Amino acid sequence: MTTVEQRTGLVGQGVDRVDGPLKVTGAARYPNDFSYPDLAYAALVRSTVAAGRISRLDTAAALASPGVLAVITHQNAPRLERAPDSGLTAPPPPLQDDRITFHGQYVAVVVADSAEEATAAARRVEAEYEPAEPILDMGDPRAEWITDPWGTDSSRGDLKGALASAEVRFEATYTTAANSNSPMGLFSTVAVWDGDDLTIHDSTQWPSYLRKAIAQVFSLPEGNVRVLCPYVGGAFGAGLRAWPHIMLAALAARTVGRPVKLVLTRPEMFTGVGHRTASEQCVKLGATRDGRLVALAHESTTPLQIEGTQFEPCTAGSASAYACPNVITRDRQVRLNIPWCNFMRAPGEAQGNFALESAMDELAYELGMDPLELRLRNYSEDNPRLELPWSSKSLRECYEVGAERFGWSRRSPEPGSMRDGDSLIGYGVAGVSFFWYQEPCEARATLRKDGTAVVRSAVTDIGTGTYTVMTQLSAECLGLDMAHVTFELGDSDLPAGAAAGGSGLTAAVGSAVQAACRNLVRAFLDTVRDDPTSPLQGCTIDEVSVGGGRIHRIDAPESGEAYADILAAHGIGELSADGSSTPNDPKVAGMAPSGAFAARFVEVRVDPDLGLMQVARVVSVVDAGRILNEKTATSQIMGGTVGGIGMAMLEEIVTDPGTGRVANATFGDYLIPVNADIPDMEVAFVGRPDRFNSVGVKGVGEIGLVGIGAAIANAVHHATGRRVRSLPITIEQLF
Amino acid sequence: MRVTVTVNGEERIADDVWEGESLLYVLRERLGLPGAKNACEQGECGSCTVYLDGVPVCACLVAAGQAESRTVVTVEGLASDEGLHPVQQAFVECGAVQCGFCTPGLIVQTHALLAASEGVPSDLEIREALAGNLCRCTGYEKILDAVRQAAGRADG
Repeated sequence: MTTVEQRTGLVGQGVDRVDGPLKVTGAARYPNDFSYPDLAYAALVRSTVAAGRISRLDTAAALASPGVLAVITHQNAPRLERAPDSGLTAPPPPLQDDRITFHGQYVAVVVADSAEEATAAARRVEAEYEPAEPILDMGDPRAEWITDPWGTDSSRGDLKGALASAEVRFEATYTTAANSNSPMGLFSTVAVWDGDDLTIHDSTQWPSYLRKAIAQVFSLPEGNVRVLCPYVGGAFGAGLRAWPHIMLAALAARTVGRPVKLVLTRPEMFTGVGHRTASEQCVKLGATRDGRLVALAHESTTPLQIEGTQFEPCTAGSASAYACPNVITRDRQVRLNIPWCNFMRAPGEAQGNFALESAMDELAYELGMDPLELRLRNYSEDNPRLELPWSSKSLRECYEVGAERFGWSRRSPEPGSMRDGDSLIGYGVAGVSFFWYQEPCEARATLRKDGTAVVRSAVTDIGTGTYTVMTQLSAECLGLDMAHVTFELGDSDLPAGAAAGGSGLTAAVGSAVQAACRNLVRAFLDTVRDDPTSPLQGCTIDEVSVGGGRIHRIDAPESGEAYADILAAHGIGELSADGSSTPNDPKVAGMAPSGAFAARFVEVRVDPDLGLMQVARVVSVVDAGRILNEKTATSQIMGGTVGGIGMAMLEEIVTDPGTGRVANATFGDYLIPVNADIPDMEVAFVGRPDRFNSVGVKGVGEIGLVGIGAAIANAVHHATGRRVRSLPITIEQLF
Repeated sequence: MRVTVTVNGEERIADDVWEGESLLYVLRERLGLPGAKNACEQGECGSCTVYLDGVPVCACLVAAGQAESRTVVTVEGLASDEGLHPVQQAFVECGAVQCGFCTPGLIVQTHALLAASEGVPSDLEIREALAGNLCRCTGYEKILDAVRQAAGRADG
């Protein structure tokens, strides 16, 4: 079993972000903040049909425009190779043929001396199409269906029999709209060639993969490519793919022989870097009169780009959310002529949880039971799918602490029975059992002769706090003050890093950092092994501890030696060590890896005369294992909560049903929560360090968004008696 | 055209500016001041907020020529030799920063709110003042904490 390294000290404290001062002064450099001498700018031309072929492309007017250096189309683009799979098929390289598979696909890139000139010239590219009838609706009989796309469907017991004989049955269909990641930072690429060496500044969440992808697309040795992303202006999953615009920036730079900057426009962010799929889900529940689940079926259908891939299991979480003997979960995808679907904060889970936790609420009303009690009555003490104990689970405590803080006992069961003046008050609850995910990761720790350390890994900090928590962790592992430790990331030349995705980065890079730091201490012990003047002579790693910039013997803490003194005594400039982590194997560990758990309690206020609805309060209690930094972790949950409010009440990508054009691709039309939408939010953490990784953490990046949709819908029902099974919940659905 | 503008106390000249260019573009791409951010280019998000003659504006909506012979202060101009401005310090301490992309605009907007407030602003006034600044990471609550703190409110 993995030992949890739980010490008191630096880790856990809500220390300020180490990157904070740079960000508040405007000094943090995001990809599109980089400039080079002789920099040229690129602008994209997108298709205006969703399916068909380009029949004519006239670039003469664009080429004749002021400042234009080149116009690249499928007619003159060189052959590009396909990027390697990252576990998912990479988008095809751009401008390789005349086929169009979605509205907004790139058909040309224009390069000019200034961004304004490139944009102006891009409008002068004349494209004509031989359109085909696009497949835009999941009900279109021409659409290709994929069943069990990832082998995640599950079945246990006898669902049919259990449903047929259940004392109480419930069935309903739920839908969720397509959502846009819409990070504030426009995705940007700056490409700089030096001979066959290519440097790329990009808004990626995964520099180690992006380097591999670019190298393969341009048939370069991997070592020739360097991807830099020390700061990324948010991404929420959008930065996990090697998007075509990245390749176009590099291609443009190679074509004109100058560095090129390509910044997506806000509308291009809606078609060029993925989105959360819409979903249509059916949940069937069977239960005994006293509220024990005997049957649970969850089936989901989500759209998919016609040539794309996407891992988005909406139902997988339902297989292990509750102790129920007879369960079927099924996912299907339908290929459409829509822009690429991709990861967005809590992929699959955000949609799936809405359906399951709404259905549980509806079942509670059928049973005349408190919705919270129904969840506790079906609590899964072990992972029912793997039939193994959880590596940690304090969901019960989440419910109990949350109910207490929220004042759940004040709820009167009857819908529409609680009022405050003119407002109807509704209380809603949802439980969350988030998935577990972790990738391999590497890190390197270096101690320098001045006693300071630098720890490195090619990971990213997309706003999550990786710089800060890894600085804390490194400082703890080496026994240094935080001020004496620097954590470097966002550079593909550093040791290979895991993606900032799946809420798995902190466990992955944290474990690698721990290993690197431990190996570094070993390297110091090796250095003094035969040194008769060192109090650490002959000590093994298990006989020493660290603190105050030195290594000391556990049995005699006064006997020790400072790192800097060891380096000086042995004439060494600096000492480095590598560390790596790989995910544990559940079978070997004998436990089911837990993601984070949470209980979400929501109060809504509805004015029945004006049709106004407001989320008034949200209490979130989260079991995320060991919390490395209370301040950044709380921020993650709050930010996720507001993302969940967006999904529940505002956010919907509207696609024109005739043309497949995204019709609301600006912040004026695609609404995200603003300051005035923010409720009173309370966040608390419960639980113990997780046993599945050596850091003891369970990621907090995504769970904050999950459960909010269901809790709001359940509260709306409690307030109004109206059950809304479709997100976002808009005024027209309420009245 | 040539644009002469005083930025953060220093006279700056940008040459060969196209008439259609925004102040934001000139600041970022011609004057080496990328602090103000470009996130929507149409005045919806507030990420590019700077002072123009003491008034906070979306630099993406100001034509560069409009700034001729005027005074601009960007986020890069708020800290002093003594360190961060109290607004900047509050954002760091309160955890009001995540990815940081909306932060420069929020810092300038908050700076303007507190400079213009006669008393201590209420939550409603703060939310109103920051209504034009979108943030996708923080959920706004910690930003409100930071503004309360910078305003010297007891609950900050």
